Amino acid sequence: MPINLTLGQVSNDFMIAALLIYSLSVLAFAGDFAFGRPRRAQATAVVRQAKDRAAAMATVGSASVSVGSVSVGSASAGGASVGGASVGGTSVGGASRAGGAASGTGAGVPETASGRDSMPALALPPLRAIRQAGRWVQAAMALAAVAVTAHTTAVVTRGFAVHRAPWGNMYEFVTALTCFAAIFFLFVMIRYRAWALGVFVMGAVVLTLGLAETLIYTAAGDLVPALQSYWLDIHVTAMTVATGIFFVSAVLGCVYLAVDRYDRRVAAGKAAPGNGIVRRLPSIEQLDRLTYRTVVFGFPVWTFGVIAGAIWADQAWGRYWGWDPVETWAFITWVLYAAFLHARATAGWRGRRAQYIQLLGFASLMFNILVVQVFIAGLHSYAGVS
Amino acid sequence: MTDVRVPEADPFDAAAQERDGRPPSPAAAAPGGLGLAGWLKWAWRQLTSMRIALVLLFLLAVGSVPGSILPQQGTDAAGVQQYYTSHPGLAPWLNHLGLFNVFAAPWFAAIYLLLFASLVGCVVPRTFRLVGSARSLPPRAPRHLTRLPHSAEYTVALGPQDAVQVAERALASHGFRLRRPADGGGSPDAGEPWVSAEKGYLREVGNLLFHLALLGVLVSVALGGLFGYKADRLLVQGSTFADTASQLDELYPGRLVSDADLGPFTITLNQFEASYIASGPQRGQPSSFDAQISYTARPGGPVGSYRLEVNRPLSVDGAKVYLIGHGYAPVFRVTDARGQVVYNAPTPFISGSSGNFLSEGVVKVPDAQPQQLGFTGIFVPTAVDVGGVLQSAFPAADNPVVSMIAYAGNLGMNSGPSQSVYQLDTAGMRRLTTSPQVLQVGQSLKLPGGQGTLTFTGYVPWVSLTITHDPGQIPALVCGIAALGGLLLSFMVRRRRVFVRARADSGGGSTVRVGGLTRTDASGGFEAEFASLADELRSAQRAAAAGQAAPQPGSEPGTEPDSEPDSGHSQHEGK
Amino acid sequence: MFRGKRRAVVLVAAVCTGALLAVVLLAGWASGGSSGVSYLDGNTNAVLYAAGHRPLAPDFTASTLTGSRLSFSSYRGRVVVLNFWGSWCVPCREEAPTLAVVAEQYQRAGVAFLGVDVRDTTASAEAFVRNFGVTYPSVSDSSSQITLAFTAAVPVSGTPTTLVVDRTGHIAGAVFGQATYSELTAMLAKVTGKTAG
Repeated sequence: MPINLTLGQVSNDFMIAALLIYSLSVLAFAGDFAFGRPRRAQATAVVRQAKDRAAAMATVGSASVSVGSVSVGSASAGGASVGGASVGGTSVGGASRAGGAASGTGAGVPETASGRDSMPALALPPLRAIRQAGRWVQAAMALAAVAVTAHTTAVVTRGFAVHRAPWGNMYEFVTALTCFAAIFFLFVMIRYRAWALGVFVMGAVVLTLGLAETLIYTAAGDLVPALQSYWLDIHVTAMTVATGIFFVSAVLGCVYLAVDRYDRRVAAGKAAPGNGIVRRLPSIEQLDRLTYRTVVFGFPVWTFGVIAGAIWADQAWGRYWGWDPVETWAFITWVLYAAFLHARATAGWRGRRAQYIQLLGFASLMFNILVVQVFIAGLHSYAGVS
Repeated sequence: MTDVRVPEADPFDAAAQERDGRPPSPAAAAPGGLGLAGWLKWAWRQLTSMRIALVLLFLLAVGSVPGSILPQQGTDAAGVQQYYTSHPGLAPWLNHLGLFNVFAAPWFAAIYLLLFASLVGCVVPRTFRLVGSARSLPPRAPRHLTRLPHSAEYTVALGPQDAVQVAERALASHGFRLRRPADGGGSPDAGEPWVSAEKGYLREVGNLLFHLALLGVLVSVALGGLFGYKADRLLVQGSTFADTASQLDELYPGRLVSDADLGPFTITLNQFEASYIASGPQRGQPSSFDAQISYTARPGGPVGSYRLEVNRPLSVDGAKVYLIGHGYAPVFRVTDARGQVVYNAPTPFISGSSGNFLSEGVVKVPDAQPQQLGFTGIFVPTAVDVGGVLQSAFPAADNPVVSMIAYAGNLGMNSGPSQSVYQLDTAGMRRLTTSPQVLQVGQSLKLPGGQGTLTFTGYVPWVSLTITHDPGQIPALVCGIAALGGLLLSFMVRRRRVFVRARADSGGGSTVRVGGLTRTDASGGFEAEFASLADELRSAQRAAAAGQAAPQPGSEPGTEPDSEPDSGHSQHEGK
Repeated sequence: MFRGKRRAVVLVAAVCTGALLAVVLLAGWASGGSSGVSYLDGNTNAVLYAAGHRPLAPDFTASTLTGSRLSFSSYRGRVVVLNFWGSWCVPCREEAPTLAVVAEQYQRAGVAFLGVDVRDTTASAEAFVRNFGVTYPSVSDSSSQITLAFTAAVPVSGTPTTLVVDRTGHIAGAVFGQATYSELTAMLAKVTGKTAG
């Protein structure tokens, strides 16, 4: 079937539109930082209360719960959702944090007098939370939603133009993965009220998409026969989705490291506390948990992608695993993300070190896509990049 | 189910987890040294610790890197040779370290074997623990529920016993396993009913399933390596071959595979067609190729026909046959000095890096009289002359030519080591033609001195096939899917405990306290579940209270329950 | 109370690991030789099958290089030396003079020689026959069915392979690889009971 050049052009137009609207949304997110409603004080207050609580706590069952572990669990007790305490602003976050503090009474506070219920707050519906977060956040979220729609349209029309799944070469792959990353992050922002992180992730999306458009743009075209299989759709789709998810994790990891570095500098007296940007971001524990949750989402998808790739490799090349360079680096990426998941359960490796491992995993993923597929000869050399 | 023994290590016990994670120091040894058994035990505890597992994972990742950067013996033997020539000093050292065959190297095997030993050493005890905890009951409800990370407190107009019963029903409907004071062991506070609930054992099941499935993948790979084989064969259009050792170009049998294990199928290549994109920016790229083959699964069996394509292998007799590549085999006819036809066959030429299937090959005529003849040359499918150099403009054979150089003398074939069919050893030969002779289809090259004639009569395609048999393939797939299932289960399910206590109030109702605790996997999300659970418990209890109060008409106003359904909701608005 | 259980668990885990390692590290052990096989002069390439343990040679019908049809069953009652060869095969070319000599020497003893030409073309094969003065006929195995059939009986894993078939049509001996004069004659002496005459 011949390439539908009109649709290809439509796809390009939507891509450029998406790029522009993403940029506007990034500006709006930044505007929220500069001009938006002030956020309540950190969840550090909640963490302190939780630590007190834990220290005074009786044993639960036969176990004694260590302070560090409880603080993570109870940081969320202050809010109905991750980021509820410090992100989401105004009365809602404050109330839920205070309400949680009352319900999870700290040591020394007597039991509630009868007749006055103390219940953990039910989660606020997302749209209401956005509305209460202020105009800048509303604008930014609306722009992001529009941009994501345009981006998705661009990817979908490209697929119709070339009569196949639109991730058959490097350019298509990058546009598709950023699309998945944006969709996923939109979901994360709404679910976890994490719009303070919007400027970083959407900014990264803009940057990557812009680079893709300028450096590796490939016109719509056909595939080499070795790629004409329905396993293409399954394997590369899974890898693209997983890469998009890990893209978000990587950005969150960078934010974590930046905040962590700032906290350490403050503790060492090298920087003034109360930095305006950091104050509006989620706490370090919440960032850690958000990163963990995104990796937890992406890891099974990556695993599935590797399995699907093995099935496809067996169909095409006669063996399901041959240590082809791309296969090897996909394996390395998998092992590194597995190490990240293990590190969070290992004393001494939580926090900053675990984030390093996660970023190393993403680096190996990028190395796989950008260097191994292009420069190292193997059976996978279908990038379409000369 | 009266076994109230608490499992050995409570999964909610973070301190115990820390112990698990950290390898124990031998400093806690008995005085006077550990002794051999003690050291072995220490080594085993080290190996099965999380930290060592982390180190081994890193080593696995790092160890794989040279396997992807350097050419590997198994997949790119020619590349290894090239590396030797371009890095003569470095290459032997890399070889000693096994870096040209990383994934079969003993040190790589040591890494993943140690990792799997660590895995087994962790998984087996945890399986026992899971079975133990699944058989025992949840722990008793702690006294001060409001000190738990998640807690709620409210009043209902139900007696404490009834309130707890309603809570039990609600929790049971959510699938929680319950423990009541009656289930063995005296409750420390008689008169204050309570119930403990626990849920989420599937998480650990998923976790163990995942790790065990990885083990299964390893065993499947080993199975394939022992009992499987891989073979290559280049087949010219019109030829037939059988899956037997002498008929295969390359055979890589597994350790326990003998030649008799190869399946007795036969394949004939009837026709091969390749089509290429003729115009546009992707001109020259292949758009499809398929091979029409006929095959028999065993000698004398029925003849089947099949269209073999890339991504579409043939399954026959327990093995799979794949179409890997293709090329051109120009047909040559050679007559010698005595006028006898001494060679008349399609000769596979191999395409190199020049592009568009410009291929190189060799013709050896060992039985030409009086002297053996040899020819080297190229086949150009669509020949164009670019500044005096023959190049191929398109991969299809639109303008096929060959360009040959002739030799006469001793091919070295009558004795000595076997030779490659694609290489001519001209050491014992003298060159007959001064420059390469270009021939079109039907043209002949007359050798000087009446040595004979070479005629280029046409060309036929050839295909390269790979035959594989891997009994570990299906088990590996099953284990992979099981691993994925276990992974999803362990990520989606959360082990959690909920406790409910009710204390009688002065007004005839009771104060209900609900507490919740989740395993410290620190991914969050339980607070929302706990909030909705607490809300549901309260609603159920209040509904039961209303139900109790309703069937009594004409009751005194004073005994009406006081609960206001909205007193709780006002908490989280505008505080 | 739990220490004993822990020890048991650790032991079980260690045993599982050990068993697993043993399975994975299973080195290729040589498959037990089937009984009835002996080697000629300790050379594992030259195999003799004792009477009663001789595999039956499959029958085949094929075209000779000259174009006539030949049926292997027609050789029943005679000792046959079946030689798998190809004009492209260096050891085949090296052993060709030996085969010619032995063929001539054992002709009076009634031993027949038959060649099976594998992975070859007619012109090259005929040129080979002319060049080496091969007097005995050869059949062309272009469909590789003959090789396939014999592989079921004897591991014909390479070229050349020479089989000695006794009068009852059973394979009495095999040389996997290039045959030497001493091997061939020793084998024929055992099978025919006669020395070169």
